[in-house]
Order: sequence, then structure tokens, then C-alpha cells
Amino acid sequence: MTAVSEPGLGALVGGASRASAPRRRKFDAFPYLLLAPAALMMVIVNLVPIVQGFRMSMLKLNQYTLSQFMGAPFVGLRNYRGVLFDATNPVHAGMLGALRNTALYSLLVTLCAVAIGLGVALLLNRDFPGKAAARTLLMLPWVVPTYVVGTLWGFMWQRDEGIINHVLVDVLHLMDHKPFWLIGSNTFFAIVIPTVWRAWPVLMLIFLAALQAVPEELYEAARLDGANAWQRFVNITLPALKPVIVIQVMFQIIDNVYSYNIVAMMFGKGAGYPGEWGDLLMPLLTRQSFSYWRFGEGAAVSFVMMAVMLVFVAVWMRTFRRSMTDEA
Amino acid sequence: MKRRSTERMLNMLVWAIVALTLSPVAFMVYASLSDYNDVVTGNLVKASFTPHWSNYREMWVNVDFLAFLRNSLVICGLTTLFATVLAALAAYSLARFKFRGNHPFSVAVSTTQVIPGMLFFLPLYMLYIQLDDAGLPMMNTYHGMIFLYTAMFTPASIWIMRGFFVAIPRELEEAAIIDGCSRLGAFVRVVLPISAPGIIATASFVFLLAWDEVFFAWVLTSSPDVQTVPVGLRLYMGQHATRYDLMMAAAVVSVIPVLVTFFASQRWFIKGLAAGAVKG
Repeated sequence: MTAVSEPGLGALVGGASRASAPRRRKFDAFPYLLLAPAALMMVIVNLVPIVQGFRMSMLKLNQYTLSQFMGAPFVGLRNYRGVLFDATNPVHAGMLGALRNTALYSLLVTLCAVAIGLGVALLLNRDFPGKAAARTLLMLPWVVPTYVVGTLWGFMWQRDEGIINHVLVDVLHLMDHKPFWLIGSNTFFAIVIPTVWRAWPVLMLIFLAALQAVPEELYEAARLDGANAWQRFVNITLPALKPVIVIQVMFQIIDNVYSYNIVAMMFGKGAGYPGEWGDLLMPLLTRQSFSYWRFGEGAAVSFVMMAVMLVFVAVWMRTFRRSMTDEA
Repeated sequence: MKRRSTERMLNMLVWAIVALTLSPVAFMVYASLSDYNDVVTGNLVKASFTPHWSNYREMWVNVDFLAFLRNSLVICGLTTLFATVLAALAAYSLARFKFRGNHPFSVAVSTTQVIPGMLFFLPLYMLYIQLDDAGLPMMNTYHGMIFLYTAMFTPASIWIMRGFFVAIPRELEEAAIIDGCSRLGAFVRVVLPISAPGIIATASFVFLLAWDEVFFAWVLTSSPDVQTVPVGLRLYMGQHATRYDLMMAAAVVSVIPVLVTFFASQRWFIKGLAAGAVKG
């Protein structure tokens, strides 16, 4: 099935790439030469900076020591302890709230985007006039850059001049007063909804492609056996889509844990504080590392996040590896 | 009969979803054509609406948006070119050849997808400063940004394209080699042409990703000669008032290049998705 040709992060746990050339005794430079330019770029921009970033996470970096960079005083794991547990550390402020928000945000956005994407894909997987047009139009949110999503929705959520309150209160009369969307706990929904809005269309397209690959005979046979629509969905559609859903859920979680653009653009001028319920880890980390010049702590939290995500991916792929190769 | 009416209900549901989904985009266009006074007072929905096309003239004057647009087009366009070429070579190598290092490299490519930008930001910033001092300006330059973006988006492109190359039967290259083609020749003359849909899908994907990049655009550039669209878009937020009307006009303009890219490549793009090669 489709998802298997896309092991992506799956290679992390040993989903070996299927290279099938006969083993040569003699050293063959050709594949290395093809790889060299990309490898060189990755060494310069990824590998070396990451090794330095790891080192940096154990250095005392602030406005006085920043110019020494790698020569800054070594403090071992103190940055990690400080930023994760020390209430007096400037970068720590708001960290727990942002952690809670990031966890809830990633789960909620992923769940909603996958559910809506799958639901609409099922609706579109029929023949009806204007099907191709509907599919294309529904992709529109996905081509809107995330920074435009942030600015556009930031404007729409405004309390007095925003269109959302206007529609809810003045047009539909669903509420008797205009609520603040960008202050207080409503902020959480103010960041979740635009993210879902932009994320689900591409999932719909992927699920639709996968649905079209499910053999029609399976449904015919199930109908003959008297299975109703729900039974056909649970017993045929879901199992057939499982590999695709597994991969897409994983990508969604990674994307959303590292989400930055929408929050950064929605509040103030990049450095704006999104409030207790609107802050996510990446925006918080960026804001506070830059405003206090505490890049050691910034690197420490980044490293912890990366480690957590690597573990998540490894566990996820291991859990679902069988269901993905079954389809191949 | 019952079935027919259910179908009709479902069709109406589809169009209701289309309308709801498009409404924020429609609002963006509507606001971009509204009068500033109506925008700031929230008096947006009016019986008699006359489009203020002048917003689309004023937006280039209020902020030098053309410069930001040009920068984004140059940086993202060249990034797309370089990343696609590098990724095609690497993906072909990973898809076709068994060699020591194939698997570790594949793992490395995957791992890059979970590296937070914050982690390599400062080392990269310092590297750019050192290169500046050594007489090779990188900070706040086109090539500095293109270099970074190419490296950032090459790994994802490698994965996408690898899927396409794996699907091509190797007999085609073998026949070309028997006919006297070199291996590179077989790749360039046989494999690349048939993978054109995959290459177009990958290229448009890279362009969309590069166009969407905000963090490094903010921290590695400092002048309007190099800064990209997301930086320019913020400038409509003034000290005292935000020119939402002009900002929405600029937002509409900044959607157009990606919109064109998507529609131009849609056919191959959807095929790419069908091949399970493009991640969301």
C-alpha cells in the first residue's frame, strides 16, 4: 500500500531502505558521489550546528559571555535543571503552561484535522456533479502560508472590530456580548481553530487518494453479505487506511509540537506575549531566549524536545510497523 | 428514492463545508477591498459595498512590499531549484544502490525532520558571523538564505523523491546501459524524464515550504534588500494603528505565488499523493 513507500522517519527504527543493486565486491564510488552534495549541506547546516548546539546547552551563555560562544563557561547540566525546574530562571517562566498547551494543542489539532480530513474524504469519495471543483476549492486553506493564517485570524478574532464576534453576536445572536478571543482561556481555541483549518485539507487529499485505491469488490462483497455502511467503514475502509492514518498522525504531531508561525504572527509583533493559554513551547522558547540572551537554556529545552520526539517516533513506528507492512 | 435524497443531502453538506472552509479566505479578500474606517470600527458588513481597489495601490507605497515579494521569489525560487537537484541525486542513490552508509544516511535524513530550528539557530548564526569576518558575507544576503533553506528542505525532498525512484523499474536503466549509456547518462536521460511528475511535485512542495518559513527569515536578515514576505507583512502593524485593510491586501498578494504554484502543479501533486510520496 501507499504509505510503505514513504518510510520517512520509519528508517529510524530500522525500516531499511529497499536498495536492490547486486552487492559489488569492488568499491563503487558512484552512489557516494550522488549523495555527496546533499550530505555536505546536511553536515554544514545540520550536523555541525547540532553538535555545537548540544555543547551550547551546557554553557553559561548570556549577554556577557555570548561573544565567547563556545568559550563560555561550562556549567554541565545546570541549564537543563534551571530551565526545567528552577522557578527563578527567566527562561523557565511560563514553561509549564506552554508545555501543557503544546500537549493539548498537538493532540486536539491532530485529532480534529484527521477526523475532519477523513470525514470529508469519505464525502468526496462518491460521484457527484462538481466533485473535482469541490476538491480543489477545499485545498485553498492549505496554500495560505501559515504566517498569513496567523495575521488573518488574529484580525478576525479581534473583540470589537473582528468579523467572528460580528457574526456570532450581531448576525447570529448566539451570544449577547462580544467575548475576548485573544485574552484569557479563549486564546487556546483562537490558536487551535486556525491550525486545524489549515491542516485538514491536505489530509483530506491524502485520505481521498488512499480511499480510491481500496478495491471496489471488497465493498460489493460486504454489501452482498448484508453489511451496513458503518460495518463497511469499520471493517474495510479503516483497515485499508490504517497505514496512511498512522503516518499522517505522526507527522501532524511532530508539526504541531514544533508549531511556531501561527502563534508568533497572531500576537503582537513577534515578541508579543500570547498569554497563559495561547503560548506554545517554540514561541515561548524563541521569545525568552532572545529577550534574555539565554541561548544555553534555549538549546537545552530544544534538545529535550528533540529527544522526546525521537522517542515518540521510535515507539510509534515500532507499535505500528506491522500494520504498515501488512499492506505492502 | 430514499437513496437519491440521501445523496442530495450529502452533496449539499459538501457545498456547505466548501462555503465554511472558504469563508476566511473570502473575508481576507473582502477586508482587503474595504475602507480603512470601516475596518477599524468593525463596520465591515454593509448593504452597499464598494470595493476600494485603491488599497491595492496604497499597499506598495505604505510598505515597500514589492521588495519583500521580490526577495521571497528569488530566495524561494532558487532554493527550490537547488534543493530539488540535490535531492534528486541523493534520492536516486538511496533508492537504487546498496552501499555502506545507505541506511545510516537514511536515518540521518529522517532525524533532520525532528530538529527544532532553535537548536541550530545560534551555531549557524555564529558560523555566518565568522564567515562575514573572514570576508565571505553570509548574514543578510540572498545566498546566505538560499544556502540555509536548501539545506533545510533537501532532506524532506529526498524522502519524497526516493518514493518515486523506487517505483521505476530498473530494467529501463539496464537497457540504456547495455545500449552504451553511462550510469549517469542513464539517470539523466532515462530516469529523470519518467520521474518528471515526481520532480514537479517535489519542487512545488519545496517552494511551498520555503515560502512559509518565518523564524530564520526574521533572525538572519536585517534589511529590506533581503527580508522576505512574512517580515514585510508585519510592517503594516504600526506603532499606533494597524492598517488591516492594507495588510489583508498584502496577505492576498502573498498567497498568489503559492496559489499559482499549487494550481500549476496540481495534477502531478495529486498523483504524487496517490503514490504516497508527499507528506502532509
